[in-house]
Amino acid sequence: MSLGEERAIRSIVVVGAGIVGVSAAMSFIRALPRVRVSIIEVPPDPAALADRLTGSLPAIGAFHAMVGVDELDLVRGGAATHHLGTRFERWSADGEPWYHAFGEYGTAGGRAAFHQLWARAQRAKQALPYYRYSMAAVLAEAGKFVHPSDELNSPFSSFNYALRIDPDRYHAELVARAQTLPLSHMQAEIGGVQRTENGGVSALLLKDGHRVEADLFIDCAGPSAPVASALSERFEDWGESLPCDRLLLGSSKAGQFSSSDLAAATSVGWRWASPLGGRQMVGLAYASSVTGEARARRVLASEAGVEEAEAVAIRTGRRPEPWTHNVLAVGDAAIAVDALQGVNLHLAQSAIRRALELLPGRDCHPLELREYNRRTKQETRRVRDFLALHYLRSGRSKGELWQALAARSLPNSLAHSVEQFEARGRLPFYEEESFDKQSWLAVLIGIGLLPRQVDPIAAALREDEAAAWMQRMADGITQEAARVPPYRDYLGRMLQPPTRRG
Amino acid sequence: MSELNTAEAPGNKQRVVILGGGTAGWMTAAALVRLLPHACTVRLVESAEIGIVGVGEATLPHLRAFVESLGIDEADFMRATHATFKLGIDFRDFGKIGDSYIHPFGDFGRELNGVDFHHYWLRMRAAGRQDDLFDYSVANVMAASKRFAPPSTDPGSLLSAYGYAYQFDATLFGPYLRAYAEKRGARRTEGKVVNVEVNPETGDLAALRMESGERVEGDLFVDCSGFISLLLGRTLGEEWEDWSHWLPCDRAVALPCTSPPGPIEPYTRATAMEAGWRWRIPLQHRVGNGYVYSSSHISDDAAADALVASVEGRPMADPRVLKFRAGRRRRSWVKNVVAVGLASGFLEPLESTSIYLVQAAITQLVELFPSGRVEEADRREYNRLVDLEYDRIRDFLILHYHATTRDDSSFWNHVRTMEVPDSLAEKMELFRHAGRVAKYTQGLFLQPSWIAVYVGQGIVPHGWDQRAEAARPDRLGAAMDSLRREIQQAVASLPDHREFIARRNAAVSETS
Repeated sequence: MSLGEERAIRSIVVVGAGIVGVSAAMSFIRALPRVRVSIIEVPPDPAALADRLTGSLPAIGAFHAMVGVDELDLVRGGAATHHLGTRFERWSADGEPWYHAFGEYGTAGGRAAFHQLWARAQRAKQALPYYRYSMAAVLAEAGKFVHPSDELNSPFSSFNYALRIDPDRYHAELVARAQTLPLSHMQAEIGGVQRTENGGVSALLLKDGHRVEADLFIDCAGPSAPVASALSERFEDWGESLPCDRLLLGSSKAGQFSSSDLAAATSVGWRWASPLGGRQMVGLAYASSVTGEARARRVLASEAGVEEAEAVAIRTGRRPEPWTHNVLAVGDAAIAVDALQGVNLHLAQSAIRRALELLPGRDCHPLELREYNRRTKQETRRVRDFLALHYLRSGRSKGELWQALAARSLPNSLAHSVEQFEARGRLPFYEEESFDKQSWLAVLIGIGLLPRQVDPIAAALREDEAAAWMQRMADGITQEAARVPPYRDYLGRMLQPPTRRG
Repeated sequence: MSELNTAEAPGNKQRVVILGGGTAGWMTAAALVRLLPHACTVRLVESAEIGIVGVGEATLPHLRAFVESLGIDEADFMRATHATFKLGIDFRDFGKIGDSYIHPFGDFGRELNGVDFHHYWLRMRAAGRQDDLFDYSVANVMAASKRFAPPSTDPGSLLSAYGYAYQFDATLFGPYLRAYAEKRGARRTEGKVVNVEVNPETGDLAALRMESGERVEGDLFVDCSGFISLLLGRTLGEEWEDWSHWLPCDRAVALPCTSPPGPIEPYTRATAMEAGWRWRIPLQHRVGNGYVYSSSHISDDAAADALVASVEGRPMADPRVLKFRAGRRRRSWVKNVVAVGLASGFLEPLESTSIYLVQAAITQLVELFPSGRVEEADRREYNRLVDLEYDRIRDFLILHYHATTRDDSSFWNHVRTMEVPDSLAEKMELFRHAGRVAKYTQGLFLQPSWIAVYVGQGIVPHGWDQRAEAARPDRLGAAMDSLRREIQQAVASLPDHREFIARRNAAVSETS
């Protein structure tokens, strides 16, 4: 036996067979063919949002490549459509809609950053809305989609895209693929755990009397986290920053194919609509401390026309040490945020990739777990900051939730970002950001913040010429976007069986 | 976007006064006149009576971006400063006497299935394969064969996986930038500062009073006065944070020598000595030498003797002793004073970081340049970024001393057994245990650098990435053999370093 084998993890048990659990099992078995991986299907936790929502971030493409899932198959099977951005409505002081799209906004003017030139023009009322300089956002506004081009000079090279998944169908696609892998599967409920001397878990005790041993347990069972919770109940509560702790989840028939989601602020919180073709997923997020369920249901009914919805309670926050001994919590078992910006599944996928990258030896030495937990903390803190920005600095004052939030202070790292942006349009660097600078700027500007100072490098460029150049840029984007076919047509072409290879 | 023209200058430009005309001062002046001509006027005050330290002859690859941002032609700049190319640092006798490894500016091998190459190397090594990790570094192989060519721009090419820096005559770099800055409007004032005027209400600096009686007013003062730190240290009294317990070297004796004939090494050499280490930096026209030592472990005379005894070539000057101490001012930006270079802090030149720290300070200053009164938020952010740079470099430097088995002198016994910062102790443990490098993306010295020093100085991990076990050992061994061959072949096709420089110089002469 080699030194590597002596040290290596031999068996992994994944608890939870939703999208997150199956994704984790597939990832580990593909990367570590010598490891025995089994999955225990426990009753689904309704608050396991990463298993239930439609959102993803562009990194889903790399994740799919890793687990061997093909985008075209997903789209053909109706399990996914393309997602370029989200339209935010009534989510700013002036109430103007804006888009957060997965792409660049404008191009730099020599050494001057585009957003700095835009901010100066905006002050002089010479600018169009910020999103109008983003190809991805303009396409999203039109509901259109094309795949980004590899040609550097193409107007369509400046963006990326995510997938909007149909949770049930996507889950079914994953399960179908998982069945081709040597993965053992059982249905059970966790009755308890048996601990090792050093504090880890030696075996799961199932309610049917079985006992399941493994070197590593991955808890993907949602916030109830039956295995991780047995080791530690510690939880860092984010209710101050992310106040929505109730979701109403429903669907309606009115969906069109579109590359854009909707997120609309309402007096009690916000509601979303995510079109899947035949239907659309809709929902409302609100804070139970401010609004009762009956009122929230009335808001959803009047604004989205949806009468029937499932109420789900969540508690936003994170497990401070998602990897403890030989138990790793992934997905909502590790971090719970509401549906804003569709980041739930992304965080689970990112955790799986990091766990593979940093997979410890069988002893799960604290040194190795510390690096995993350190990087995970950096990542989740900045996701909290990014989402909290929408709630705490939205500029919106109308409505009971927004009034209740008015006096809340920002977490330090978010305050630092906002302070730097408001002073001079700068964004301080943080490690492990899930949302890049373009995303931060789209939201900061979208909700109505503007830098106080004109950037000295932008100030060096002539205002009239810069304004004319920006106008040409926006016109160019509008014209190019107009030539793109409707998304339904594009999908139709994409799904045709290939007639020639080229 | 060349179509946008520069606007007429508004009246409210910041008056920047730079004190000190060494490398830091002229780098700052050059960057400000180039990057913020619209936002500031630049005046640099220096005294010919005060010498410059100017030992920072070896640099890091980041300097290329600085030279590029000024729009300076590399070949012209290299000819003017007698510069050579640098692919890394050859560390000798650090882990133990007789050891030698190059910390290369580049990656080790190629990632395979998302797993870094060194994990495969570790796995195969444990299985009995005997080869050197450094054979898989293009920069190392190139440096060792004294060849050089700029990296390929094709990311698929083996020859794209490295960077390079310069080795130059630092006493010529300042004047080169001075000419550049003065041509673009920087004003130079020669003379000694006799008094610094502070606004009693705000505590901000108001003016420098010159020996000539002239009063040099400013809105923002950049302290490039060197170790004396006249504005930040002396005038504003910013406290010094001492790191000499971790980095005990506090002196250097420098001795330039004539170049030996034959190839020029595209790397700096650092050879561990009884009470510190000795540098050897080959330039076009001479070789810079120096011995960095701890004065509590060796006398100045003994250090100078040891240096003289060890150099090749004929000395071109008498040995010159420099004094310093490791550490930094708690904050680099206080009130309206920003310290850049030695006035802000000092880390010994073991990894050629001095000019990098100047450059990093300037980059942050440009990014946070005030448009009116200095805002506290900007100072805080600036200081946060400077701290981050210093802390990262500090740990990396300490590693070179601490990762050793040397017990042949009181100096090495001290550094081998001293307590190191927790942040470093944890990093070392993590590598030793699992071959992993604590990840960050901002700041100096990323994963390949840490791997080079760990492995080069004998820290070989017990464990590695388990995914590396997925590949079959025979196939993996064959792939590694072929990668090593490819690297050797690719490097063998490159020109000799000295010849490459000669060709470049000739090309500059023709065009100028």
